[in-house]
Amino acid sequence: MSSSNSTLTGELRSLPAPEALRLRPAAGADADGALATARAVVAFTRTSSRRYNRARTSVGGLFVDIYSNALALACVLAIAGSFVVALRDEIARRDPTQGGLADTQWHILPAELMWFLLTYLALAGLLTVARRLGPASVSSSEGSWWLPLPVDRRPMVLPGTVRLILGMGLASAVAYLPFSFLTELGRSGTAHLLASATFGLTAVIAVGGAAVLQLRARPTRGERVWPVLTLLPLAVLPSLAAAVWPLALAGVTSLVVLAYVLPRVGSVAGHELIRGGGVSGHAGASVFLLDVNELRRALAPDPRLKASQRARKLYARPTRSPLTALVRADIVSFLRLQRGLAGPLLWIGACIALVLADAALPALVQLLVITIAGCVTAGSMGVVAQRTALVPDLDSMLPVSSWAVMLSRMLMPAAVMSLWMAAVTGMLVIVGAGGPALILLGAVAGLGMGAGSVRAATKPPTDWTAPAAETPFGPVPRAQIAALIRGLDVTVLSMVPVLLALYIGDVYPWLVGVQAAISVGIVLIQMAAKPSSQSGA
Amino acid sequence: MGAVLQATGLLVGYFRAPVCGEVSVTVHQGEVLGVVGVNGAGKSTVVRTLAGRQPALAGDVLVQGLPAVPDAVMFRRQVSAIFDDDVFFPALTVREHLLLVARGHSLDSPDERVEAELEFFGLQERADVVPESLSSGQRRRLLLAAGLIRPSSLLILDEPEQRLDPVMRDALAQRIRDHAEAGAAVVLVTHDPRLLVQTASTCLVIDDVVEQLDPDRGAAIIAGS
Repeated sequence: MSSSNSTLTGELRSLPAPEALRLRPAAGADADGALATARAVVAFTRTSSRRYNRARTSVGGLFVDIYSNALALACVLAIAGSFVVALRDEIARRDPTQGGLADTQWHILPAELMWFLLTYLALAGLLTVARRLGPASVSSSEGSWWLPLPVDRRPMVLPGTVRLILGMGLASAVAYLPFSFLTELGRSGTAHLLASATFGLTAVIAVGGAAVLQLRARPTRGERVWPVLTLLPLAVLPSLAAAVWPLALAGVTSLVVLAYVLPRVGSVAGHELIRGGGVSGHAGASVFLLDVNELRRALAPDPRLKASQRARKLYARPTRSPLTALVRADIVSFLRLQRGLAGPLLWIGACIALVLADAALPALVQLLVITIAGCVTAGSMGVVAQRTALVPDLDSMLPVSSWAVMLSRMLMPAAVMSLWMAAVTGMLVIVGAGGPALILLGAVAGLGMGAGSVRAATKPPTDWTAPAAETPFGPVPRAQIAALIRGLDVTVLSMVPVLLALYIGDVYPWLVGVQAAISVGIVLIQMAAKPSSQSGA
Repeated sequence: MGAVLQATGLLVGYFRAPVCGEVSVTVHQGEVLGVVGVNGAGKSTVVRTLAGRQPALAGDVLVQGLPAVPDAVMFRRQVSAIFDDDVFFPALTVREHLLLVARGHSLDSPDERVEAELEFFGLQERADVVPESLSSGQRRRLLLAAGLIRPSSLLILDEPEQRLDPVMRDALAQRIRDHAEAGAAVVLVTHDPRLLVQTASTCLVIDDVVEQLDPDRGAAIIAGS
């Protein structure tokens, strides 16, 4: 390098004459600015990258990749398929006179209405996620090297957008198949396939709707709401699978949406394309590494660069000790970072709707949904712990012990989860699923679930280098699984007494004692965890 | 010489809060405007706004008489902006990155232009490796080469001297002067008084009140800060 530096001045003369102002469209380009060149840029990048990657990939390695991925996919499909078939048999065998968890007089919600609501929520969720991912997006390198070029951006953005829209549509169709099997026992195989294809096409419309929103630089509230409302009538279509017209209608609508969006993707603002690419890359890497905390961070709304005024007065009040200061900081951070009540309230609604459905699903299915609702809601409560775990030194700035730090961090999640569980169990008590003591049981369970949310939020990164443990069933990646389920384990454990009480329909005093012991035990275990060991979360 | 860049009553910042005083400046063809100020004064925010990467709180930015719209093809053709975006295609070599820019801007004889830039920035021996294997300074050279290989009427450089050795800084100063002499306007944010004096024809000091001074005064302010 030094030799090249020493001759730099001489090399200046060897450079072609400066041509700062030699600005013109590409040779052979179309009139408005070199569409052909844009295609050439994309083709050049792809060809060069492929050549580089091929030189580093052996045929044997490629075969192993394809074989192991196909095998893993087949295993997942086989396990999921057998689970769905077993569940379908269980539902088919159920006694319609049995009430599930609630009294039969409370079965006031037609099952069809509930399936419609679930379908609609799934479509709305797809639209929301698609909006975070783009759908039109470019990777960070494409954003830096492609977007500043003076060419039409459509060839750069179109392939990825089409891939994402169709991919989400296909995945949605596959995911709808078990749902159709479980909710419509009388349907023929063809009708299930038709329903699943119809749902796939409505998913394409939802993701296309997200792309429509991207076309506007700053969509108004009304513009953001109408795609969500448009999905309402579309959510009915998959349930009408006996006829072909719902499929045709969904197909035509999706074509109209795509015909509107795809020719315009080149006009999506550059910063929006880069934002979508950043979120997609982050989310993709999180899924690849099975890191739920990172996935939450990736899909969370963009952080506010300016702190909201929420809880400002509380924070401004003087404190008497470092611990009080820490507790107050944790409370204020929680209030500012926790985004709305919509998610927790929606899950309460889902739990209650399932219990009110006519005809009732088996009690075990209802309990499973309540467990999932509890785990998801608890998982969303660890937002402060997730952020602070990224900077472990933060907790050592105040002269307080590590257990006090943990206790302070658990305070708000435990309090909110306690309230949430009291609300869920309170609603269940109203519909006759148990006595008032169930509310007490739920509130105590919430404390352990809050601690579980902090445990999940502060889990260390998975050590993929840890050797798999040999078992009679073959090698099991024990260390990795332990890391993956950390937090979820104690959250479920904390719910066990409540689920048991719901199943037997009564709350025995010993059950309250067990619940208290479990929740307090989980809180104590989490307090003993050292913040400094959680840097990788 | 015509005005290439005109900023009038420009306020830059975040969430309606300006980070510095109002900026009104005109840069003509052949001029190099040095932008200096202490850390956090708002220099990068000013040039990011001039480059259309950030919306202005108030005021207008015109490039060749047209509003600064970063997504417009004409704007992208006119403006070359080099910030500290250390992002590269993982499977493209150094040479291929430069070829990408050369072809994207429809340069004549792109291969020869790329070879010349590789030679100037001392990257010939590393031309066929991916940027990941370059040193931090070499990656900086690659970014500068990408910004300078293409034609532009407005060149915006945000602290280009970062991670460069003194010999390369001198060579870069000569390139900036050549670029300006060829008819471009250049906006240069720098903390290097020597680079400022070597290149700038005028100097903008960013603070609560934005002042336009001669480069020597600007260099003195950098040295003092």
